[in-house]
Amino acid sequence: MLETAFFNLFAGLSILSGMGVVLARNTMHSVMFLIFCFFNAAGLFFMLDAEFIGIIMILIYVGAVMVLFMFVVMMLEVNQAKLREGFLQYLPLGGLIAVILIIEFIAAAQSGVFTEGVKATAVHISQQVNNTAEIGQVLYTRYLLGFEIAAIILLVALVGAVVLTLRTRKDAKYQNIAAQVHVRKEDRMRKVRM
Amino acid sequence: MANVTFPFPFPEHLLALLPEMIVAVLAMALLLLDLFVPKEKKRMTAYMAALTMMAAGAATLFVMTPETQVAFYGFFVLDHFAVFAKLLICIATLLGIVLSIDYMKDEENIGEYYVLMLFSALGMMLMVSANNFIIMYLGLELMALSTYVLVGYQRDVLRSSEAALKYFILGALSSGMLLYGVTFFYGVSGSFHFVAIAQGIAEAGSSAGTAVLLGLVFVLAGLAFKVSMAPFHMWTPDTYEGAPTPITAFMSVAPKVAGFVIFMRILVDALPGLQHEYTTILIVMAVITMAVGNLAAIAQRNIKRMLAYSTIGHVGFVMLGLIAANADGYAGILVYLSVYLFMNMGVFAIIILMRREGIQGELLDDFAGLSRVRPGYALAMGLFLFSLGGIPFLAGFWAKYVVFIAAIEAGHLYLVLYALLFSAVGAFYYIRVVKYIYFDEERVAFNFVENRMMQATVVVSAIAVVALGIYPDPLIDLCQKALGGLI
Repeated sequence: MLETAFFNLFAGLSILSGMGVVLARNTMHSVMFLIFCFFNAAGLFFMLDAEFIGIIMILIYVGAVMVLFMFVVMMLEVNQAKLREGFLQYLPLGGLIAVILIIEFIAAAQSGVFTEGVKATAVHISQQVNNTAEIGQVLYTRYLLGFEIAAIILLVALVGAVVLTLRTRKDAKYQNIAAQVHVRKEDRMRKVRM
Repeated sequence: MANVTFPFPFPEHLLALLPEMIVAVLAMALLLLDLFVPKEKKRMTAYMAALTMMAAGAATLFVMTPETQVAFYGFFVLDHFAVFAKLLICIATLLGIVLSIDYMKDEENIGEYYVLMLFSALGMMLMVSANNFIIMYLGLELMALSTYVLVGYQRDVLRSSEAALKYFILGALSSGMLLYGVTFFYGVSGSFHFVAIAQGIAEAGSSAGTAVLLGLVFVLAGLAFKVSMAPFHMWTPDTYEGAPTPITAFMSVAPKVAGFVIFMRILVDALPGLQHEYTTILIVMAVITMAVGNLAAIAQRNIKRMLAYSTIGHVGFVMLGLIAANADGYAGILVYLSVYLFMNMGVFAIIILMRREGIQGELLDDFAGLSRVRPGYALAMGLFLFSLGGIPFLAGFWAKYVVFIAAIEAGHLYLVLYALLFSAVGAFYYIRVVKYIYFDEERVAFNFVENRMMQATVVVSAIAVVALGIYPDPLIDLCQKALGGLI
């Protein structure tokens, strides 16, 4: 009973905040709604006894990914009024997709696959099992090789990102400090006989 | 969840990973060392990277044992099959590094270029030693991620960035498809190991038919992307054309070796029960691949683009070995890949030598009249092109011969006739380049940079192509021995 109540709370709030992401006029508010949505999704994972994924969801998505999103949004300086121009021209196509989706959902709900008997329910495992510890135990033992390769992949991603962005652009003006310090009077000034 | 007791046993047979460890450790060391190498001495980095690959190749031979070794709790397998593939990868990477030294010398941040090549090789080496989808996928991603960056290395060249972006997006899409397919296999069998998946599929029988078939289709599509089989070949021409030429040479050979080797492993170890299904899919794809590759190559004026389509055409021929699905077919694939390595590296070495002030040397017209100025280069180029076209008594002929015979043995006579037809079409556009070299007037002045190492690459490749053409038996024997690990 209590569980159903919490499920409805988390699920409902994540749907509402998901709608908020799309409907908010201010991009910053959209990002905030998305963060709220992730928190609710994390709550759903906790209810499924998947506390590791729940925590990772908060740490990685909210803590890292969304902060990055926020930086990007702040740097982009999106013009809302301009974005909303031509909003209506996508309505026919978007509306069509929405209608098809609704029909699909209703058909699926009516098909009998989701009746009470066959519905998957969360099977709660005993309190002794801690899935964070369990994942840690196999991740650093049996799956060690894969873990190490993943680490090298991250290193390559890091090196690749730096290599592709760090370069002296031929069209940008740079300050040459050594030249500035070593400049002499004669380099800058020229006596002209009038 | 698996019960793990502590202290957990230390990974057994770690020595089997010696080549991978050498590459990984030296690549990271090189990444740091490169900071202290002054700009005018950057060649040092390249030489050290080349030495690393030689060391890895030597270590591969050193750790090889007659019986199959399994390390890291059964996640890593070292058999003759993997050893052979690793040697090919080491040679291809070594040649790729040698081809890069002169070509890339004016680029910025050149140190990381060689480090990324080493990491790419590391990914491939892990991939060919994988006996499960986890290591296979991680190796694949390591290889692909390094290659994406290498393709886009020339940031100031627009088509290089474009090539990298196209390759990246389509590569990510194909990885997604591969993973989606793997989830079906995991769902049916509860394991990532190839052998366990085969058991799981056999036990589930027809009850899991649709799921297994979906998994098969997605895994095949994901792998087909990586080895550029049509209809998943779209990225190949643009990426080959835009990438720095040494990288084009590298990625036309090494990832293909890794891709086909893991393809064979998956088909033999994980999907033996689906042979009828995958053969049907592969036949359809081979028919399209051969046609697309060989017909589109005719229309190209840029030789890198032409060679991209030629690669697709060759992939179509290699697929005959997969379709044959017998020992001769799989050995034929290894023969084909080894021979293709030398032919392609040789051709690309000459294309790189053609680059001179202001001219990329990539258009067919740039080759006109080469024979009068540089008869040596012209002869070598002629040999490579005849070999690619499958003219008898050069290595390329035997490569085709072996896979064609294997496919006939398996009863695919009509498919082989079709392949022969497109082989003839292929010979046309290769020989057209020879015509430019020998019978056309020169249109632009040739002033070649002397580069001993590149010339050595050309000579070695030419000798390999001719020697294997006259006496291919040792290579064919070697490939059949290498199959011991697979079948």
